Amino acid sequence: MAENSSPVRSRRLRTNWITLLLVAFGMVAAWVLLNLVIGGKCNQSCIVDTLGQMLRYATPIAFAALCGVVCERAGVVDIGIEGKMLVAAMVAYTVNLFAFQAIKDVVGVESAGNISRWVALFVALVVAVLLSALHAWVSISLRADQIISGTVINILSIGVTGYFYRQYLAENIPPGPGTFPIWKIPFLSEIPVLGPILFQQKPLVYTMLLLVIFINYVLFYTPWGLRTRAVGEHPRAADTLGINVLRTRYLNVLAGGLIAGLGGAWFTLEAVDVFNPLMTNGLGFIGLAAMIFGKWSPFGALMGALIFGLGNSVTSTISIFRPDIPSQFPQMLPYILTIVILTGVVGRATAPAADGSPYEKG
Amino acid sequence: MTTKTSASGPTNRFWAAASQSALLTPVLALFSAFLLGAIIIWLTSGSLLTVWEAYSGLFRGAFLKQRGLTETLVATIPYVFLGLAVAVGFKSGLFNIGVEGQYTIGSVAAAWAGVAFKGLPAIILLPLCLLVGAAGGALWAAIPGYLKAKTGAHEVINTIMMNYVAFRLTEYLVGNLLKDKVSSAIQTVPVSVEAELWTMQSVPQRLENPLNALLVAIVLALVAWIVAREWKARQAARPGLVANPWFARLVGLAFGIVCFFALPPLTRLWWPFTDQYDRLHIGIFLAVGAAFFIWWLLWKTTLGFELRVVGSNANAARYAGISITRNVMLAMIISGALAGLAGTIEVLGVSTCRCLPLFFSSGYGFDSIAISLIAKNSPFGILAASFLFGAMRNGADLMELSSGVSKYIISVIQALGLLFVAAPAIIRWVYRVRSGPHPDEAVPLTKGWGGG
Repeated sequence: MAENSSPVRSRRLRTNWITLLLVAFGMVAAWVLLNLVIGGKCNQSCIVDTLGQMLRYATPIAFAALCGVVCERAGVVDIGIEGKMLVAAMVAYTVNLFAFQAIKDVVGVESAGNISRWVALFVALVVAVLLSALHAWVSISLRADQIISGTVINILSIGVTGYFYRQYLAENIPPGPGTFPIWKIPFLSEIPVLGPILFQQKPLVYTMLLLVIFINYVLFYTPWGLRTRAVGEHPRAADTLGINVLRTRYLNVLAGGLIAGLGGAWFTLEAVDVFNPLMTNGLGFIGLAAMIFGKWSPFGALMGALIFGLGNSVTSTISIFRPDIPSQFPQMLPYILTIVILTGVVGRATAPAADGSPYEKG
Repeated sequence: MTTKTSASGPTNRFWAAASQSALLTPVLALFSAFLLGAIIIWLTSGSLLTVWEAYSGLFRGAFLKQRGLTETLVATIPYVFLGLAVAVGFKSGLFNIGVEGQYTIGSVAAAWAGVAFKGLPAIILLPLCLLVGAAGGALWAAIPGYLKAKTGAHEVINTIMMNYVAFRLTEYLVGNLLKDKVSSAIQTVPVSVEAELWTMQSVPQRLENPLNALLVAIVLALVAWIVAREWKARQAARPGLVANPWFARLVGLAFGIVCFFALPPLTRLWWPFTDQYDRLHIGIFLAVGAAFFIWWLLWKTTLGFELRVVGSNANAARYAGISITRNVMLAMIISGALAGLAGTIEVLGVSTCRCLPLFFSSGYGFDSIAISLIAKNSPFGILAASFLFGAMRNGADLMELSSGVSKYIISVIQALGLLFVAAPAIIRWVYRVRSGPHPDEAVPLTKGWGGG
């Protein structure tokens, strides 16, 4: 098994180094651009703020991209990530609010908030996995078109969240317990510059970073990962070798749902304490772009997400210092950057060979 | 498999299939979707009366209330163009998820052209505005198309990215360069009255101007010419006059001349659209025409054949010497032009200010994908599906008003309908329907990341 995976592994590592260099270059370029635009007014604390914000903005995108990596490595295209995140965001918000209201008189406001946030996260994950199960059933068992199935989930999610928002959440909302507090990691958060950027964040940011490492390990260094990749590249061969193709795909899609659920929960448990219809604002799709940018590898996906995060944080920094520049143009930058990077530098990104095609046994 | 069914005479197949299973599944799918929607409303409101109120409100809003039906048709028009745009992409193996961006650019381009060329008569300005709008959408789609053809960059990602760039760009243009300084609202300057797409009600009045009558006569002459040519090509026996090589052209010319002289007095004598608040406009003819044009293009021309071969099997196409690059570009340009036309028509024909207001997401992107998929990429299916979606969009307001059920339930019903169409196995299992002559209709319309 180890011999089989080695060529794939070496290619993957090379890709990552190029991507890493690009990202480093992009960051320097962004910093230079930032200072040119705002006239050198970005001091150290401003830079630290910008980079910390980059990591926060990158988190939901990275979750979406990781969901894509996990699904597509097993050969299932999932464009319903956006919808799953939207539903997870609404569920997390609602559960957080009502669980808090239910128990705050019993256990006190402080601990009620703590409990309700974790309960909300859990329920949001369960719901996202259920949506994934729908996608898995339709596209793996019923062998329907995977992109249609994903589109169904997207439209369904817009409808369901909008419906419940209008029926139950639009007015008379009691005050909620708020988002997760910042977790300062002991000692590490004291490191100058790096500490405030990396180690003074909220829990889902850490989860995202650990998940990138974990998925990279699982995908490239465990039998499970080898099986997943085999199913995504050549399901028939994998089947001949005794790998249960459908089971592997199911489990990967469900795991993807879990990850997308984390991304959705970020919106209402970490970013803001409100829910709006359509609040995911295309980040699920941008996550797919990050996944392709990263050539279906977890670290690559993280890099793609960081570029978007950087684009967003630089935009907001510019808008603070130079309100006279029309905000629309800096806002376009990450999107244009993605197009340029996808075409010029990364070139042809090759998806897993069996990506998007249903598997029929026999 | 899709090509096999569609290549051999779609008209005959259409009727043959309609009577058998092809129409049965979508109808059952929609019925089930509405049924599930009813259950959701029932469960969340706790009363069956609300279900009745909601659905009857939806129906009344879409068809029965004053101007209900014409408003439904108004809502149908952009759907037809956008559905066709998505379908052309799918047929060529491309997933154009960026129709909303192309729609936006098309509308801003038309809003600009309608002001910039003020003073020209409608006979020039109206076609020019449509052309500029279509070109705007085509350009916006051609960029990802070019990148896909030349570098292999995924059109799915690039069209999504282009969407966001389009939204920001339009926001800027409407708010700054094209902004109407007079109006307090953030919107562009209203287009010249000559650039307006005529409302149905105003047609007799417009035709009083001989130049407008000439414009109509030219369009109708072209249509007559094409119909005569196609009719002639199908005739086995061709008596003297028909055999003449000038036959089709003469028919077109004669029809145009007759229309030019006959239409203005005839419409003055009798015209069914008299309600001055009716917003239905002549774009409805353009929409039907576009559906016929795309059907003709895809199934009756070499170009369409090449597009479909590239879409169904790129390797076979390459082996047969069909240029993938050229066809990918062309497919994106046609698709973008259709989406741009949808935006153009909304600005020139529907918007109350005859301008482009600063808007927020119209939600057309997903809807048009759903329409194309439910119609299985057939142009005439798209006409029907667009009408259905238009009716639901139009009826939703009255539904919400009369029953208190949020209009987002429409999206839920549409998603469920799409689900059942995409996975007919569910429908067959529930209703115990045997599969028709084409065993599994769930042939992949799209494959993975498109093309490949």
